[in-house]
Amino acid sequence: MKLPLEWLAPAGLWLGALLVPLVALYLLKVRRQRRRVGATWLWQAARRDLMARSPFQRFVVQLPLVLQALALLALAVAASRPATRGTELSGEHVALIIDTSASMAATDPRTGQRRIELAKAAARELVLGLRPGSDAMVLDAGRDARIALPPDRDFRRLRAAIDGLDARDVEGDLGAALALAVSRLKQLGGERSIVVLSDGNLARPAAFAGAAVPIELVRVGEPTDNAAIVRLDVRAGTDPLLAREQVQAFLLVSNRGAAARELFVTMRERNASDVLDSRRLTVAPGESEPVVLTFHPAPGDYGQGLVFELSPHDALPLDDVAYGRVPVGRKLPVLYAAAGTPSPWLLRALAADADAEVRTLGVGELASAVNVDPGALVVVEGACPLAVPGGDLLLLNPPAGECHGALVGESVERPAITSWDHASPRLRFVSLDGVTVASARVLQPESKRQELLRSDRGVLAADVSSSSRAAMLLGFDPGESNWPLKASFVLFARNLMEQARLHRSSGVGGPASAGDPLRVSVPSAARELDVELPSGERRVVPARGGLGVVPEADRVGFYRIGWKLPSPGSVLVPVNLLSAAESDLRSAPPELADPRLRLSTPSAAVASHREWGWLLGLAALGFVLLDVWWLTRRPRPRALGAAGRPRVPERRVRA
Amino acid sequence: MSTDQPTPPSPGSRLLDPAFVRELEALRRRLEIRARSGLSGEHLARRRGGTSEFYEHRPYAPGDDLRRIDWAAYARSGEPVVKIFRAEEDVVARLVCDASASLDFGTPSKLDVARRLAAALGYMTLAGSERAQLVVVGDGVRREHTPSRGRAGLPALLRQLDAIRPEGPTNLGRAVDAVVRRSPRPGLLALLSDFFDPGPVLEALHRAAAAGHDVLLLQIVAPEEIEPSFEGDLTLEDAESGALVDVTMDAAALEAYGLRFAGLCEELRAWARRHGASYVRVRTDEALHDVVRRIVARSVD
Repeated sequence: MKLPLEWLAPAGLWLGALLVPLVALYLLKVRRQRRRVGATWLWQAARRDLMARSPFQRFVVQLPLVLQALALLALAVAASRPATRGTELSGEHVALIIDTSASMAATDPRTGQRRIELAKAAARELVLGLRPGSDAMVLDAGRDARIALPPDRDFRRLRAAIDGLDARDVEGDLGAALALAVSRLKQLGGERSIVVLSDGNLARPAAFAGAAVPIELVRVGEPTDNAAIVRLDVRAGTDPLLAREQVQAFLLVSNRGAAARELFVTMRERNASDVLDSRRLTVAPGESEPVVLTFHPAPGDYGQGLVFELSPHDALPLDDVAYGRVPVGRKLPVLYAAAGTPSPWLLRALAADADAEVRTLGVGELASAVNVDPGALVVVEGACPLAVPGGDLLLLNPPAGECHGALVGESVERPAITSWDHASPRLRFVSLDGVTVASARVLQPESKRQELLRSDRGVLAADVSSSSRAAMLLGFDPGESNWPLKASFVLFARNLMEQARLHRSSGVGGPASAGDPLRVSVPSAARELDVELPSGERRVVPARGGLGVVPEADRVGFYRIGWKLPSPGSVLVPVNLLSAAESDLRSAPPELADPRLRLSTPSAAVASHREWGWLLGLAALGFVLLDVWWLTRRPRPRALGAAGRPRVPERRVRA
Repeated sequence: MSTDQPTPPSPGSRLLDPAFVRELEALRRRLEIRARSGLSGEHLARRRGGTSEFYEHRPYAPGDDLRRIDWAAYARSGEPVVKIFRAEEDVVARLVCDASASLDFGTPSKLDVARRLAAALGYMTLAGSERAQLVVVGDGVRREHTPSRGRAGLPALLRQLDAIRPEGPTNLGRAVDAVVRRSPRPGLLALLSDFFDPGPVLEALHRAAAAGHDVLLLQIVAPEEIEPSFEGDLTLEDAESGALVDVTMDAAALEAYGLRFAGLCEELRAWARRHGASYVRVRTDEALHDVVRRIVARSVD
């Protein structure tokens, strides 16, 4: 067990060697002064009394030696500058928030240790500085806040909780941890304080503002240069020279350093060593450079993982690697199901896309359709079936009644379009000016935010997306309007397909970020998903309504999610950090305008560790003064009554 | 000044100054010597031819000598009373002065104080036309002077006192026994000493009291012996034996010494109370007339 004290100048302890000559001087003590008295009879008796009274009399006799030795020892220890190794934590209740975001995995250039290890070491020292009776709780501040240990006074449990923490591959949010700490501390009375151990590399520095409890930010780690992949987009495209399908990866490489960096970016398939493409680039300090890597996929490459790597590696290897997936191709399967005769307008607009593969069928066949691509665009006309396979969904002119959360009303004649949602990706660049609708069903979505197209008679189009798929409800048949005669209708169809392609390539939740729950589109029949984590561990998560959610995806890499029903299948989901804030390892601490915030570092904390040399110096001075008093005092016996009973001296029996 | 007042000692004598003599003259009549043979009381004087002095009446008790009944008083009061007489006889005050080396301590020395007290006692005795005898003791009787009588004997006594020199060891027990053995009749036995004698002094004093001596213990001590002012680590050397004792003068040592010294005083005091003797502790720095007052009051300090 380590002592709670450390010696800042251990050589000072050599001063204690002076004890040897001091004791030697006492052993070679000067002769006593001789004094003539009338008779020594009573003195001899008194000396016998002293010896009999206390076995420590010899010690008392040598009190000057003891005092001088103590003074010398105190001086020796004071010269060695003893200091408590942990700052004294103020507050009866202390919340220790340890940043476990991705940047804490960076290697400190000075110590060679990871920042999280420095933070844990500082936390362990801080715990030693807890005042008696005070308690501390430990919070794990990753993407979300988690209480690693509720308020506790036991050092072993506190240390165990601190030791159990590790950096995760997530963008941190100290605000959540601060809010949680403040919330818990408010339930406790007395003096409260929060100590945040972080590298000061905060994605959301505003979280520190306006805290109700004094906060001390202990910054660990030295600023260091770092280069990182901060953006990644992998999509299927066409090689303009060869007119072949091409996988195009767009990367943004950022240099968060003081000097220009020459970097190599490589792309390879998962579990393969062959480099598919690579680039060499020089990135100026503080700048970001885009990189495009391409390759021509073979049919077996679709859905496979892609690994993008930046070399040489630096302080944070985590952000030197990004993960992607080979898109499933430009060919978008489109499933067009109509209750009656399909509307030729939309069908024609969809089929106009060379990369679309349109398949028509009846609504009744939809539920039993097999081999439906999970990312296929499904268009249902004149019906509103509940179970619909595939990916993005467009419901055209549904019958009256409830449909995917919205209420479809009765048909109205000649509604005049008044406004539409320009921000919706489906209506991107779409203008509905001049579009007239002969008849339409008015929709009542659950919220106004779902309204996409409004008329004087009510809502004509609504977004009825669920957590598992993107869906749109259009309250009229385009054939009942002049919209197909306008260019905006083609744009609308194009937008639908691009959205479907995007969702097909990246899943319903879009690009997955570490720390966020991982949402994956799976077959509707799937009830249980087998998840293989990047570490190789396996987990089972439930799936409902064609959506599976992995609640904790706090490690970057590939997550393979498999299912057994309706037929065995799996999908590979890449999870990335891609955080410019976490990759900036030279970031300055946040502005601390709030007087309740205080900034320190472990080194400053060590420097501010309380030195006890002055106290020992005072003690040495006290011993010296006591010794001087002892040697110069005028001893006075106490009054006889107070001293004890008189003792009759022994006499000889015979003269 | 009355004509029968003794001539003050010569200026050469440092023992009695005029002021002190005036004090002694005032106190001398109060000095009472309670030697058994010198008192009549309930017993007839054993020596024939001695005069007797009426002392007091006492109620008659069966067995009393009928010749002692005061018939006149009986006639006046109707109660038979017996007359008590006190013998008027020659009393010897033996001034036993310890002249061992331990008395040569302090300023003034204990021996100087002992000389002056002996001179005072001698003066009061001689002024009462009684006899005073100086016995110088140390390790036994060192010199026994011839008893002096009356005021005329005072110069000789003072010269004897002046001639005392401190030397040698102490053996008060042996000295007292010797004085008692050499005393044909009991009298006042005034022992002037510091009593720093580990020998069986009390047994000897007990024998003296048993022999009928009126014992007066005058313990003469220096202030440094009551409250030593020594400091530091000392080797104490015994003035008589030359024995050495290493002592560190701290509060504990001084307290232990103080308790032992108090024990010695208490021992003498208790003995005096038990045997009807007197015990007066004399500090060498206190006024002697106060000491003399305590002596004539026969106090037990």
